Amino acid sequence: MNVIYKIVLAEDNSVLSLLLKFRLEKEGYKLLIAVDGKQAIELIEEYNPELILTDIMMPFVSGLEVISYVRNKLNLKTPIIVFSSAGQEEIVLKAFDLGATDFMSKPFSPHELVIRVKRLLK
Amino acid sequence: MNENLHILESLKHSSPIIQLIWGLSCLFFIIIAILTFYLKYLRNHLRVNEKIETKYQEIYESYLVTYLYAGNDEEAFSSEQQIIIEKLKKYAADPFKRKIIVSTLLKLRNEISGEMGESIDKLFIKLGLLRYSLAKLRSKKWDVIAIGIRELTQFKIKAVHKIIMNNINHPKREVRKEMQFYLVHLYAFEGLEFLNVLETPLSEWDQIQLLEVLQLNNNTQIADIKPWLKSSNDSVVIFALKIAKVYNQFEAKEVLIELLNHKCEDVRINAISALSHLNIIEAKNILKNNFNDRGHEEQIGFLKMMENVYEASDKTFLMEHINHKSTEIKLLVIEVLKNINFEEFALNEAELKKTLTA
Amino acid sequence: MYTSTLQIIMTIIHYFFLVFSAIAIASYVILAIISAIETIEYMKKNSFVNYKEILSSTFSPSISIIAPAYNESLNIVENVRSLLSSYYVNYDVIIVNDGSKDDSLSKLIEAYDLIQIDNLFNEHIKTKPLRKGIYKSTNPAFDKLTVIDKENGGKADALNMGLNMSKNKYVACIDVDCLLLEDALQKLIKPFLETTDVKVIAAGGVIRIANSCTVKDGKLLDVNFPKTWLEQGQILEYLRAFLLGRMAWSRLNGLLVISGAFGLFDKKIAIKVGGYDTNTVGEDMEIIVRMRRYMEDQKQKYKVAYIPDPLCWTEAPDNYKTFISQRNRWTRGTIETLKKHRKIGFNPKYKSLGLISYPYWFFFERMAPIIEVTGIIYFGILIFLNEVRWDYAFAFIIVAYLFSVLFSIVAIVSEELTYHQYKKKSIGFKLIMIAFLEPFVNHPTILYSAIKGNIDYYFYKKIEWGTMTRKGMTKA
Repeated sequence: MNVIYKIVLAEDNSVLSLLLKFRLEKEGYKLLIAVDGKQAIELIEEYNPELILTDIMMPFVSGLEVISYVRNKLNLKTPIIVFSSAGQEEIVLKAFDLGATDFMSKPFSPHELVIRVKRLLK
Repeated sequence: MNENLHILESLKHSSPIIQLIWGLSCLFFIIIAILTFYLKYLRNHLRVNEKIETKYQEIYESYLVTYLYAGNDEEAFSSEQQIIIEKLKKYAADPFKRKIIVSTLLKLRNEISGEMGESIDKLFIKLGLLRYSLAKLRSKKWDVIAIGIRELTQFKIKAVHKIIMNNINHPKREVRKEMQFYLVHLYAFEGLEFLNVLETPLSEWDQIQLLEVLQLNNNTQIADIKPWLKSSNDSVVIFALKIAKVYNQFEAKEVLIELLNHKCEDVRINAISALSHLNIIEAKNILKNNFNDRGHEEQIGFLKMMENVYEASDKTFLMEHINHKSTEIKLLVIEVLKNINFEEFALNEAELKKTLTA
Repeated sequence: MYTSTLQIIMTIIHYFFLVFSAIAIASYVILAIISAIETIEYMKKNSFVNYKEILSSTFSPSISIIAPAYNESLNIVENVRSLLSSYYVNYDVIIVNDGSKDDSLSKLIEAYDLIQIDNLFNEHIKTKPLRKGIYKSTNPAFDKLTVIDKENGGKADALNMGLNMSKNKYVACIDVDCLLLEDALQKLIKPFLETTDVKVIAAGGVIRIANSCTVKDGKLLDVNFPKTWLEQGQILEYLRAFLLGRMAWSRLNGLLVISGAFGLFDKKIAIKVGGYDTNTVGEDMEIIVRMRRYMEDQKQKYKVAYIPDPLCWTEAPDNYKTFISQRNRWTRGTIETLKKHRKIGFNPKYKSLGLISYPYWFFFERMAPIIEVTGIIYFGILIFLNEVRWDYAFAFIIVAYLFSVLFSIVAIVSEELTYHQYKKKSIGFKLIMIAFLEPFVNHPTILYSAIKGNIDYYFYKKIEWGTMTRKGMTKA
């Protein structure tokens, strides 16, 4: 267990990403923070993370495009957890179509997120 | 100096119109000068404020995050949390900074749930911010009251229910609306009781927001919507129909069918949409029999319903309308026929398409 | 005898100009005051609206964005991306490639994995036929996108094709090169959804000028102030029109135009009135007037809404040639629209539409440049005849100039108090400068273009306007 897992987090709410960064780094992961989908894609290409957390609704490049890019253009199997808002079932389905691994509906409990992250990175 | 006097002198002797015009010019000039200085001040002020705001926002964000992770199971507030509370309390005495603190708390509150969410609510009270929100309710300005109610809603302050209810008949629509959101946010379907007495129309915007709020609530004990379906307020009926759809209210079937003969077309259209969603076949036969008496929108709604509940016996009915004068209806009829998948129809399809796109 | 008659005529002419200017100034002041009151009310009402709550809602009504494109190959991929990244959930984007001669279509096909599909649609409005057909994306991330390739028929024709194709309740007609802000759709749909006593048939918002702004990947990153007086003057002009005029007209329910660069319509009514008129260069104004007229004739209560929020950013002409041809076109559009609907004008049957909006547009938009130029010519004749009372002339010129400067500065202050988009240092000074300069720099050009528009309209009517570069060609 010497390897430090890298996680890219794409989220435009600065407090939320700070909160999650703290929490997940405490668990021993390395967090790379992007404020929009475009940055997320750049980080993913550069660092090739073990896990991707992405909000769906982001400025410019949406979470859906991030998934699509990772699965179709980069051909990566990296697990992806998407954050959606309540009532976005259709978009969540689309995200799964594109190859999302799991989703969490906002507002969510950070504790729950950690459990799922751990499960995926076992 | 002499020259100035000379100008003034000649102005005195000129016609009143010229005097008036020069008077106006001076006035305009003075206002321009004042506004120019004001603009300079204003722009500086805004720029500085913005800088301060970003700075404090960052500070408060990191305080908040530290606070949330500093808790332990033994005490209500750990010593580390106490320190942060004291610091934030000092900042909160200043109205400008208080606003930033509240917005920082909200920024996170809206995104997370569970223990951490509740911990933010607790912090809100502990910082004494609740006092300020309550003070807003006593304001004379309607927009301040509305903001106050909104804050109480977002931090889920249940204990002030009675004070907020004082605004049930507030003259301003926005305040009543915030009050309704408060009720539904905190009490879900129970909070919807205001619909029983609502006389003003519930706008589509309000309906959407209320439905969203209801969806946030997980353990919903769904209320009996039948009284609302029978309301004399059409917008309440429409809203109840939307609830029927979202929460699959089969129990209200009879009332829903009755609404097919409601006097308001919008209600009938929504009733068709709800019945269609619930796949209630009885409705189909009623609508089939008086199809021609119905409005255009109702007919379209009905045909959309047919797509889910068609039976082979509907073929005659559909064939009657395959040459309907409205292209939209024609297309829907074809769509349903395609679903039923009659073989002879497949032959005609190419031909039909030609007539439609020509 | 001769001189006294001439004197009387001259006095009448003088009074005419005086009264006209006085009414013009009074109406500006009144409109500005109403705008201010309305804007404050709007800001209060919307300061605590959480747009996030509605944007994610699947219960929100469906909207189609219709964007006609003609030879936009250069930026089309990024522009479409900007349209696809709206925060609203329930919407789709229809790009109508209006017979472009460049490689717009193949670029779109490549960037968005498009394939040709078969699609039946209603031909409510007659349009030019399809060329290559209809395309959709195979990538679920872009499933909001539809591209229609049709024969060239002009902007109005392309918009009509979009109206036919849309399956949604509302349509947002937009210039493809417009940078749409992410929350523009939910802000603009709000008036439709919250009004319960009357029917909202259309809504518009504020267009801002994107010249010199930093734009990356179809997203506005940084607001800058352009360098040339021409562009700066237009910024000021837009601020005045949007902040001090439209809001008041919205309050009076007298809006005759919503920006062609971005506006939201009730599709059913837009189709019922026959869509956009392909025979005018002012199709964006014309459709609003026609929809209003239709509602009046139907005796239905209605409203054309306007919101003061900046919703999209667009390029304005940066050289005099384009600028003149744009204003020429606006002038002709206004003339055509007013002429086509002259039945409304001064007709009590059309209430405030016929008695306030139409006359206002007729006198202060349509006739103002002509009257102004006539005044200048008249003044020139007086100088030539040595009949000028210089004390009067001087006083009036000064007061008129100071008023126009003051009005611009009030517009700038309103902008700072509301949206404060030009945040950078030193722009404030430049704005004040241009307020003083504009009457000399932009205004004469605007007058010239308006007169040229009149001349073109009356004497060169038959000229085929051909394919013009679309950039900055839309009425603000």
